[in-house]
Amino acid sequence: MAAADIVGKSVTRPDAWDKVTGGRGYPVNVQLPGMLHGKLLRSPYAHARIISIDTSEAEKLPGVKGVLTAKDAPVRPFNPVYFTPIGCHSMVQDMVLFSDRVRFVGQPVAAVAATTEAIAEQALQLIDVDYEELPTVFDPEEAMGENAPQLHEASPQNIAKNPSFEVGDVEAGFAEADHVFEGVYQTQRVHTCYMEPRVCVIDCDAQGHFTVHSSMQHIFGLREKLAYALDIPEGRVTVVKPPYIGGGFGGKLDIGYIEMAAALLSERIGRPVRIEHTRHEDFISTARHPIKVYLKTGVSKDGTITAREAKSILDTGAHATHGSEVIMVHGMFGVVFPYRCANKKWEGYTVYTNNMIGGGYRGYGCPQGCFAVESQIDEICEELGFDPIEFRLKNAYEQGDPHPFNPAWNLNSYGYAEALERGAAAIDWSRRQPAGSETGVKKRGIGLGTQGVWVSGCMGFPDIYEHTGAIIKLNADGSADLASGTVDLGSGQITTLCQIAAAELGLEPEQVRMSYADTDTVPFDAPTHASRATYSSGLAVQAAAADAREKLLEVAAAMMEANPQDLEVSAGRIEVKGSPGSAIPVADVVRMAESPFMKDTAEGPQPSCPPEHKGTIMGSSSLAPPENPSPATALFVEVEVDTDTGEVSVLRCVYAHDLGRVINPNAAEGQVEGGMQQGIGYALMEDLQFDTETGTCLTSDFLDYKMPTAMEMPREIESIFVETNEPSGPFGAKSLSEQCVTVPAAAIAAAVYNAIGVRIRELPITPEKVLRALGKL
Amino acid sequence: MLVSTTINGDVVEFACPPEETLLTALRDRVGLTGVKEGCGTGDCGACSVTLDGRLVCSCLVLGAEAQGREIATVEGLAEGEKLHPLQQNFIDHAALQCGICTPGFLMAAKALLERNPNPTETEIRYALAGNLCRCTGYDKIVHAVQASAKELRQLDKKKQRRKKSKK
Repeated sequence: MAAADIVGKSVTRPDAWDKVTGGRGYPVNVQLPGMLHGKLLRSPYAHARIISIDTSEAEKLPGVKGVLTAKDAPVRPFNPVYFTPIGCHSMVQDMVLFSDRVRFVGQPVAAVAATTEAIAEQALQLIDVDYEELPTVFDPEEAMGENAPQLHEASPQNIAKNPSFEVGDVEAGFAEADHVFEGVYQTQRVHTCYMEPRVCVIDCDAQGHFTVHSSMQHIFGLREKLAYALDIPEGRVTVVKPPYIGGGFGGKLDIGYIEMAAALLSERIGRPVRIEHTRHEDFISTARHPIKVYLKTGVSKDGTITAREAKSILDTGAHATHGSEVIMVHGMFGVVFPYRCANKKWEGYTVYTNNMIGGGYRGYGCPQGCFAVESQIDEICEELGFDPIEFRLKNAYEQGDPHPFNPAWNLNSYGYAEALERGAAAIDWSRRQPAGSETGVKKRGIGLGTQGVWVSGCMGFPDIYEHTGAIIKLNADGSADLASGTVDLGSGQITTLCQIAAAELGLEPEQVRMSYADTDTVPFDAPTHASRATYSSGLAVQAAAADAREKLLEVAAAMMEANPQDLEVSAGRIEVKGSPGSAIPVADVVRMAESPFMKDTAEGPQPSCPPEHKGTIMGSSSLAPPENPSPATALFVEVEVDTDTGEVSVLRCVYAHDLGRVINPNAAEGQVEGGMQQGIGYALMEDLQFDTETGTCLTSDFLDYKMPTAMEMPREIESIFVETNEPSGPFGAKSLSEQCVTVPAAAIAAAVYNAIGVRIRELPITPEKVLRALGKL
Repeated sequence: MLVSTTINGDVVEFACPPEETLLTALRDRVGLTGVKEGCGTGDCGACSVTLDGRLVCSCLVLGAEAQGREIATVEGLAEGEKLHPLQQNFIDHAALQCGICTPGFLMAAKALLERNPNPTETEIRYALAGNLCRCTGYDKIVHAVQASAKELRQLDKKKQRRKKSKK
């Protein structure tokens, strides 16, 4: 298959066979000889001081091999997020493993390792903790008040971070406006709901070296953070890359209490220790942050945005962790960047409360911003009579404009307008009726949500890792092994990276295999996050493949008595360009380079290829991508609202997205369809709820935490891929994953408005809220 | 306690504490790790197996209850190297991503098609609503089940024709 045919083809996932026959390659399946099982004791109080902990009874229980409390754990404060370096100033360093103070219900206070999970569980019941309860605060705006309990001494008024941004003259911009719109938009706390629970198995050997198996999205980040938290050199930690993990979506982007506890227990006991979250523990360990956005926009008569001012309040919970960065991404990509406007001002607050700690989740602050910005645009269009597509196009960026994130770059490929145009045609936008004009109990509506600016990785962020590498080694059978630190969360990185390698090397896709990797053996790779794997890891894989191909052609040239630049490789064969009869298999060339044999000639035995070409043919790379091209997206949805029950059903989604170039259409569609499930859940039903008095999670299982099943999903999800061929990307590709979950809430809210003529500015749009908005409750 | 049971046609004996779930027994005692734990409360379907032909969440069944009964898991779907049509269609329709939920979906879909060989799309979606997936949005899974239903009906017709011609 020629390179041109490999890219853009729905090559079958190499991991599919294993996954339909049982799926062995997950961290949850790792078992080591002599392995113990760990459990964490968690605080029942949202805010308390620990007066004393007595573990003596637990230690006496037969089968218990070790108990840890604050006195056994290092106390260097750190930030557990993988993608920033330790000590990075932008990330608030406020966490330790165990402290004498707990700030949320579920904060671990002790850990046990025992021969079975049941014994470990039983031992937890025997630990006697004496708590002194402290006053609590669960509302971030209350937490910012003068009289609120202070959760961290270093952060007066519980403000962990307070970034701001200003450009132009906002007051002048509003003065210039003919209309000013103001609104408050509130989003809720939702969970990533990866299906494989967080799990780790950590083995500290007799030399004090840790080998780590864990269900995380970044092997190098785990190495760095674990070493720091344990106060040991990084060289004493090896993190093994799992063949694949059971979903992540950003929820496995930070070191957890389980890794730190398992490592310390293993070090102390000298046996491997495994800790696996229960689903309840998963639910209280990571979530998309709720953000309240106060948004004000000035618009002139002709539909030009003249000024935008916003304030965002993010509830980070007990510790800052991801909240340090989510607020920035939310403010910039969610609120400030999406539309052209000369006068903008934004202020963000990351606020501590006694709620659970927020985490990473696909979109990373952008869905909360998109919901506010796009909802308000829908309000503006409705009020002033603009067509929502035309209004957006009037204020959007165009191809060739400077990139709003970094003016040193341009939007060299930018298909925002085409996404809008093709999406509108597919849903037949012209049939959209005036809001609330349908009669009858069930009313239909069409809505639109867009996101004009997003990332393909983290190039340009001053404090986020963005370099990556790969190693490709050719085998004597003509196949290639690709080693890369990029973790496949399920979204298909194994497949797409192997496709990119095959296309560049001139092999068949099934001839490239994703092989073993750990932090000892492959170059550093930033996490699988920020929609970066195809673009950034893809570039590194392409570069490693190009390096290997160059060496391959050098050896082949020597064998074929030709110039390397006259050769080409395709479908596993090397030939002199334009001379198919000259072709020899790649395997012959590799075998020749690897072989010790000499060639028998009339002049006697000769080396089969020159000694300088002997050896393994391989290529490697370690690089940072040159840019951070923006994808662009437009989602059109059709909903039906039952005005008797308040229930909203999404009937149809048309998702149009500029991703540069599709590498694997099936995998790309999978991102969109899965993204719709998460986006519809966010828009309509998902909500982590807590007891307002105690702070205890009320929705920590799938019975109480509702996410869409096959029944709640629309029958029609159409993916439209706009291929603008990004010049800096691997084979023209940029990014896809996160925008799929960023836009649905705004599009669905707009469609609900179009159906019933009532605006809901608070997610999720539950039947109760719909009925209340209709005045029926 | 010692439990004697049949799993995927093989006679299997395992020892487990009386309170241990079938899920844990299958994974940790018998080594059938295709059975996955997604929640442990019977809400996600990742641990679906059949017990005497009936679809169950193995996290809600005790290991001891397997005594003298027949269990089928995802490991028993393929015949050697030949995948079950559902498995092949899940691959061909790209109906899986992270794959943790896949064994449960396969078992639930198999149970559906055994009792209703020609389900409508709504019947498929309804039958699979006890299985949660966070990656795929279910669309490709539904298509894979539709394709499998068609294929299995055709296979069934062929079998019946062969039977008739023998008569």
